[in-house]
Amino acid sequence: MQRLVLLFVVMLSLCSCKSEVRFQASSPVFKTGDDLKWANKHHDDNSWKTDRDNKRDEVFWTRYHISLNSKTEVNKHLGLEVYAFGAFEVYWDGVKIGENGKFLLEASREVPGTYRSCYLLPDSLNSPGLHLLALRGTQYYKSDLHRSPGVRIEYYAESLTRPLIIASIMNLMAGVFLMVALYYLFLLINSNKKNHATLVFSITCFLFLLLLIAEYCKFYVDIPYPYFYTRLEIIGLLTFAIALLVPLYFSMQFNFNKKGWLIGILCCVLILVYLINYRRYDLTARILSGIMLLASMVVAVQAISNKEKGGVMILCGLMISFLINNILFYDFGIFICFTIIVLCMLYLHTIRAKEDDRAYQASLLLSSRLKLQLLKKNIQPHFIKNTLTSLIDWVEESPKQGVVFINALAAEFDLMNEISEATLIPISSEIALCKAHLLVMEFRKEIKYIWSDFGIEASEMIPPAILHTLLENGITHSMPFEEDKIYFELTFKRTENHRAYTFITKAKNRSGRSGKRGTGFQYVAARLTESYGDKWEFESGEIAVGWFVRININD
Amino acid sequence: MKILIIEDEQRIARRIQRMVTSFLGEQLESVCICDALPEGISYLENNEIDLLLLDLNLNGESGFDILELMVSRSFHTIIISAYTDQAIMAFAYGVLDFVPKPFDEARLIQAFLRIGGQRNPVMQGMNFLAVKKTGAIALIAVKDLLYIKGAGIYTELHLLNGKRELHDKSLEKLQQLLPDYFERIHKSYIVPVANMEQIFIDSGTRYSLRLKDGTVLPIGRSRYKDLKSKLI
Repeated sequence: MQRLVLLFVVMLSLCSCKSEVRFQASSPVFKTGDDLKWANKHHDDNSWKTDRDNKRDEVFWTRYHISLNSKTEVNKHLGLEVYAFGAFEVYWDGVKIGENGKFLLEASREVPGTYRSCYLLPDSLNSPGLHLLALRGTQYYKSDLHRSPGVRIEYYAESLTRPLIIASIMNLMAGVFLMVALYYLFLLINSNKKNHATLVFSITCFLFLLLLIAEYCKFYVDIPYPYFYTRLEIIGLLTFAIALLVPLYFSMQFNFNKKGWLIGILCCVLILVYLINYRRYDLTARILSGIMLLASMVVAVQAISNKEKGGVMILCGLMISFLINNILFYDFGIFICFTIIVLCMLYLHTIRAKEDDRAYQASLLLSSRLKLQLLKKNIQPHFIKNTLTSLIDWVEESPKQGVVFINALAAEFDLMNEISEATLIPISSEIALCKAHLLVMEFRKEIKYIWSDFGIEASEMIPPAILHTLLENGITHSMPFEEDKIYFELTFKRTENHRAYTFITKAKNRSGRSGKRGTGFQYVAARLTESYGDKWEFESGEIAVGWFVRININD
Repeated sequence: MKILIIEDEQRIARRIQRMVTSFLGEQLESVCICDALPEGISYLENNEIDLLLLDLNLNGESGFDILELMVSRSFHTIIISAYTDQAIMAFAYGVLDFVPKPFDEARLIQAFLRIGGQRNPVMQGMNFLAVKKTGAIALIAVKDLLYIKGAGIYTELHLLNGKRELHDKSLEKLQQLLPDYFERIHKSYIVPVANMEQIFIDSGTRYSLRLKDGTVLPIGRSRYKDLKSKLI
């Protein structure tokens, strides 16, 4: 973070650096044809054209009249930077000072030069006053492209080192993006929970890295002028992808309601802007990033209205980026702007990571609490002490029955122990547990409990002890109609989209049995949530024959 | 003796019934089992009983509301419960005994013996007296009592703040439940020792006690010596 702040400061100070060399250059004039006299300072070029002919096979000349400021320090070498397409020789006051690419009279054999080239001006010819720059060259490739050539004069040493300094800072930044991209990629690969936002974030950082490389590779890779626009097109496409991914990331992190709509509309708008401004490279990139920021702001505003954490911070960051994007020179602005965005994204990511961690801890806690609750079912005083009291009575009255009772109790303990660790168990285990419990309760309550089930698929999984809990409630809150019998019926139905368990207690409800949801329901609800999230429904109520409970699990 | 058992576990209820029957023999006039509280309350509305055997956790309902309701009545209550941690609280409310589950015959008989006998020596006695007040139950802290006066089958609770409440239990039954710093000074009076100020000997060997607030109560002739020895 501190390093990035430092980078900003350095970059901003660089932006404000101005070369001390002052010069004025006339508009260029052109003439098709070839005559070495045209390099001469005193040649009359009044009849020359202000634009170049479109003849790809012919040599043409370009001339600039340049006036050097009288304040220039004489003991420093001056350098000349030329920004032009083609392969050409450079003449300064009639003296050839260099060549860009390989100029040949036969244009089709030219070796293309680079868009930017740099030459040392002879010390004897850099005195204040009027000078003449003449370019003798061809533009065999893309000759229909009339990119207006530019010139610039500054100290030669600076004109060599300035690109290096900028490139080094940008490479440093690229390194940061690379590290962040890799770190989050590794995090994604090695985490159990596949978080798509992490992937988007990692990709976005990687694209920033590519964008930085694409933007600044011009300083250290010689790109022949026919490929000049290829780089800009790559930059445009990268900006396009980033403009799509950044709002997507924010919408994912902030749980934006209409994610699909946002991305769809954004995509259409971006394509439209791209097509309308086709071949207006820097402008397109600037508009694309502007739209990206606006879309992200929409997401951040919604996040603020939903009182989501980090919303205000992100909106501030986006607004600052928006200002920078519109004020600063594109080449620098875009990267300051993107760095702020990445910082925003990182900030949001840490907030989410913290929340995820908290949720995970809470879920662990819940799971162990539920496990404990399940184990407690059979050692809580009401169950164990009443069972033991009944057991003593059975043993005293009929030792044989007492043994049967003890076996039933042991069976219930075994089953309970078996399922207590799992969050989902086969329905067959759950039913076995219910039957064991009923056997125990028959000894205690001296009521005949009759269990039946319909449509059960043995392989079906269910959270442990939820039917057992419903059964306990059924026993507690019901009394037999007649003959001391209570019936329990479990029905399972599967449809394409959901599974339904219906549990009916056929008995007289005790007075005061209401739909009031007590600790039993809380346990069932917590277990269902643990395994199915919010994809379940629970309903219960009184019916003519007793009580019904229905659990729907939506798949 | 008329007994009501409120217990939702059929097997346990029958066990209690069997033990009660065998212990009381011919003394037992009636015994009834209710497996839920509403049935128990409606039984009490129509029948007089001498002893209630109560499970505190009935059909998933638990709590001291039931207990408050029951201890405000004229009969003694014995709790038979799985939740031993509720015992102290139950004694504070004024139950005669607390029998933890699982129990055997000996433990239940021990509880029955308290009906005619002394306070539970283990416990510090009740902290609250539950009284019926216009349909609701109010709890009166035992430390707020000035003295208690027997009034036939009822008792009058005279409080330190000058108020008076009626309690359904007889003086004899309350004496079994109250902490031991409550002294029976007369067949109709119980006074906490802390409230006593001075004993007077009136003409004709009649004794009386002045309380700290100035109230003068008679001292039973047979109880004078006992009281004197405790105070001096």
